[in-house]
Amino acid sequence: MKTGRFWAWVTFILGACYFFIPLIATFEFSLRMRRGEYSFDAYSVVLGDARFQQTFSYSVIVAVFTIILGVLIVVPTAYWIRLRMPHLRPIVEFITLLPLIIPAIVIVFGYIRMYGSNSPLPFLASARGTDVLLIIGYATLALPYMYRAVDTGLRTIDVRTLTEAAQILGAGWTTIIGRIILPNVLIAVLSGAFLTFAIVIGEFTLASLLNRPAFGPYMQLVGANRAYEPAALAIIAFAITWGCMSVIQVLSRFAPKSANRPN
Amino acid sequence: MADPFLSIQGVSKAFGQTTVVENFNLDVERGEFVSFLGPSGCGKTTVLRMVAGFEEPTAGSIYVGGKDITYLKPNQRNVGMVFQAYALFPNLTVAQNIGFGLKVAGVAKADADKRVAEMLEMIKLPQFGDRYPYQLSGGQQQRIALARALAPKPKLLLLDEPLSALDAKVRVSLREEIRSIQKQLGITTIFVTHDQEEALSISDRIAVMYGGKAEQVGAPFEIYNRPATKFVANFVGTLNVLEGTVSDAASGKVKVNTEEISLKGKLNGSKTGDMLSLALRPEAISLGRRPGNDASLSGQISDVHFLGSVIRVRVGIGESSVSLDTFNNSTTPPPVVGEKAEISFSSGDVLVLH
Repeated sequence: MKTGRFWAWVTFILGACYFFIPLIATFEFSLRMRRGEYSFDAYSVVLGDARFQQTFSYSVIVAVFTIILGVLIVVPTAYWIRLRMPHLRPIVEFITLLPLIIPAIVIVFGYIRMYGSNSPLPFLASARGTDVLLIIGYATLALPYMYRAVDTGLRTIDVRTLTEAAQILGAGWTTIIGRIILPNVLIAVLSGAFLTFAIVIGEFTLASLLNRPAFGPYMQLVGANRAYEPAALAIIAFAITWGCMSVIQVLSRFAPKSANRPN
Repeated sequence: MADPFLSIQGVSKAFGQTTVVENFNLDVERGEFVSFLGPSGCGKTTVLRMVAGFEEPTAGSIYVGGKDITYLKPNQRNVGMVFQAYALFPNLTVAQNIGFGLKVAGVAKADADKRVAEMLEMIKLPQFGDRYPYQLSGGQQQRIALARALAPKPKLLLLDEPLSALDAKVRVSLREEIRSIQKQLGITTIFVTHDQEEALSISDRIAVMYGGKAEQVGAPFEIYNRPATKFVANFVGTLNVLEGTVSDAASGKVKVNTEEISLKGKLNGSKTGDMLSLALRPEAISLGRRPGNDASLSGQISDVHFLGSVIRVRVGIGESSVSLDTFNNSTTPPPVVGEKAEISFSSGDVLVLH
């Protein structure tokens, strides 16, 4: 074996250990609830807890609405930037990166100040309004991932020529986006959607400070008061995230193969 | 021309401070096949895109069938277009691609299916309906793109360098196929190309463009044999240019290197002492004297290329040189580099470029 290859393997194994050992340890700990033997009792307790089911269902519904809002905002924006306003791309990219720079706590305090019951847009005056604000907040947090996923998808097709080809055949904007552009970037949109899902499921700050019954605050609550269940919850959260990633991988195999770039 | 089907009147286009097309005028008859020929950046694609509606002219008007379409949206023009990059929709099958325009227009499914089948027959790919674009070769994809453009029965067909991305053999066969389909359907067609052979071989008329203007519009024979400007003469076909000086304007004598030739009636008002550029097509020049050639010049063979059926010979005449082709004759050895040679031509074939 060449020296370079040997060190590459050493680095890879060290990296894998750094990642997997805490995970294995957490998993092993989550199985120790029953004294003296391994069991899935912690998982039974967590999955059987009514609050787990309520908060998880709530977060799933919020995630679905967040994904819909994100797609409605990002797909037309990214498409229009590629087609007509490429000069605005650096500005839009900067804006979409802001949620990574500005902490969620700053965003949520801004929301509380801006959308209180005395404001012209009193989102926080009702539970439903707060849910809407939470969805908007999550769509903002997911913007860097959703925008990049969709923009990468658009890069794989010749947006301008496909648009013009559809236009000259009589299609309007709705037909072009709905029947030509979206199906060709669907896998990228789904990638963005699953990343959004993973973010929403684990998010704590916004949900907690807006006082909504989401999965993130529930995980924190369980973590603060129980011993084995938090470990089981951490493994469940990992499994959900990995499941999302696997679905992205599987779906990417079904992406339409572009034939628009002649050699 | 009585009533042109497509009329482009005084069209100009500027992007910021840069004028790309300047006062472009062209009338095209119904069923005519007109090519826009010119180098990159000459404005040919911009004119085509203005006809398609993708660009708005800065000035001028475009009429199709007597109707002003200058500011009409592309999806309201009923124009078919084939793109250089094929532009087939990757998520749709071949049949769905061809039927796209019909579906958008709200044609009943049975009628649309029938039309798609007709189109597939026309391009000789009847069994390809269920395939996806990525499963086809470049030539097949471009034929599908042509069928897709023609399926909704457009008034006008626009071809934007549709053969540029294909290999040489496919290019030749597809251009013949395009011309044959165009004749069969009698559809008015604008074809953009930078390939002179393509334009010469399939067009009814050619508009040679340079610097955003039409330098000359005419039939291929006219463009090739009677180029109106130095650019057209140089761009279309191979051209030998010899520099000469008018030695006696009255008798039409022109001095080339150290010899004189007579070009009576071709000097277009040039005066004695004026410098002229004399252009000659390679096929108008013979090695040695030939009957019917009334002008000759002496030189030295500087290069010989054996190309099989023909031999390309370059003859140096003073500071200039001319290229000519002779047929390969198995009993006659090819000319040798360094040999003295005489070239002859008919003064009638000389193009005087001012």
